[in-house]
Amino acid sequence: MARAADFAGLGGKESSHRVRVLTGILAAGILAFLGLGLDGSGLLSKGDGAVLVREFFVAALQPALDYESGGYLPADAPPFLLKVAKGLWGTLVYAIAAISLSFVFGMLLGVLASESFWATRGKAWGVVRWSIRISLTAMRSIHELLWALLLLAALGLSPAAAVLAIFIPYTGTLAKVFSEMLDESDPRPSYALSQIGASQSRVFLFARLPRTLPDIAAYTFYRFECAVRSSAVLGFFGFTTVGLYLKQSFENLHYHEVWTYLYALILVVLVLEAWSAQLRRRFVV
Amino acid sequence: MTTPPAAFRLSGVDVQLGGKPVLQDLSLEIGAGEHVALVGPSGAGKTTLLRAFTGVIGPRKGYVEVDGVRLDQLKPEELRSLRSQIGFVHQDHSLVPNLRVSQNVVAGRLGQRGFLSALRSMMRTKKEDLQEVHQILERVGIGEKLFQRTDSLSGGQQQRVALARALYQQPTCLLADEPVASVDPARARSLIRLMVELAKEDGWTLVVSLHNLNLARDFFPRVLGLRHGKVAYDGPPSALCEEQIHDLYHLEETAFGEGR
Repeated sequence: MARAADFAGLGGKESSHRVRVLTGILAAGILAFLGLGLDGSGLLSKGDGAVLVREFFVAALQPALDYESGGYLPADAPPFLLKVAKGLWGTLVYAIAAISLSFVFGMLLGVLASESFWATRGKAWGVVRWSIRISLTAMRSIHELLWALLLLAALGLSPAAAVLAIFIPYTGTLAKVFSEMLDESDPRPSYALSQIGASQSRVFLFARLPRTLPDIAAYTFYRFECAVRSSAVLGFFGFTTVGLYLKQSFENLHYHEVWTYLYALILVVLVLEAWSAQLRRRFVV
Repeated sequence: MTTPPAAFRLSGVDVQLGGKPVLQDLSLEIGAGEHVALVGPSGAGKTTLLRAFTGVIGPRKGYVEVDGVRLDQLKPEELRSLRSQIGFVHQDHSLVPNLRVSQNVVAGRLGQRGFLSALRSMMRTKKEDLQEVHQILERVGIGEKLFQRTDSLSGGQQQRVALARALYQQPTCLLADEPVASVDPARARSLIRLMVELAKEDGWTLVVSLHNLNLARDFFPRVLGLRHGKVAYDGPPSALCEEQIHDLYHLEETAFGEGR
């Protein structure tokens, strides 16, 4: 009886804590809404807005296959669809350059940031691990668009600026997630190998790492998709990705062209996703 | 000394895990080439005993000898080298599931190879090595699985891969911790039979912990019963009477119900 009462007391304490946390989260949400004055009226567009919105979404049904009339068109402009393809190609090239670099450095830093890699080494090495972890946090707490602003100021509109802007935060994210995947992977294969005399570094290299590689590959593919989107958005700063052309069409109110770019981008992401799913199914280290 | 040293000798071994005594003042000897079944209820200390045999768990008191060498006097490299001569088959999940069968088998010699040769053997296994692995897989009855992804195999087949990995070590002893606990009964029997046959062919010392007393009876000349971290029975299975069996498993029936 006494034990049952103890459990009841414990349960009560636990649930009252939960209620407090949930109330806190709810209160923060309400305060944020009040602070911003969000009362729903902002959703109704004023004046011409409604017409523009309508025009924009109607255009979704008819994406452009050629340049829309009006606006300035240079004489040597490529056919519209070729321009779309060029934009997509540029987007992909930036994304591929950034993600490949990020993968290499992400693996390296991810291993060095993982607890399991340092497991049998002295405590002093913990300093190395923690300084890497802190740098990784710094890298990814600044968004790629902010990095782009900084790097544009430093390097100008060079491809290196765009690639670095994606590379820095993506490396931080990849390395952090990789290190967690390594630490959380099933320890039993590793245990079995150390049982038969393999040293810790070999156990890490031949059991823990290969065990984690499919997850690492899957996550890298996902981040590649994200990099494609980031690369597209960096076009707004003037890099020759699909974002640049999209912005120009938008400013000219050529909504049909805008939708073509958007659909093309969605198509690319879909193709990448199908490809990565197929690779993952067949993945053998 | 005229008689060869025992393969494993424990002398007054006390092991505690998380503050709880698991092995208590345990002394026993297993001769080279002997085949021993380790039985007893869950929590009796079977796994701990097997781990103590290779020094993975060190005793608080007493000492463990392997081939006449005290483990507590070995340097870490020497201990690793000794472990690389002792095959070990676990209950399950001891293989890297997304590697090929051949790679998991080749990993058996990770403790014996230099770093580069280990790396090479895993990444791009030499033809001679592959042939050797294939022959071993034939011996354990799954030669055709050489290049398959390990997790595409059934539980019983994966235990054969684990056995092949142990064979590839060219060990002097094989320790197996509940190797058939996750295998269906018919396949369990054939796997234990295979282990005993291989042990005879290659002259291994064989210690297998088993939950199933019938398997212990049918295949092993010596049964070692553990209870509460102490030897409760040591002798041929034929001398094991109902009362002793009841004693051995008594704890489980009362305190743990069905047991694992």
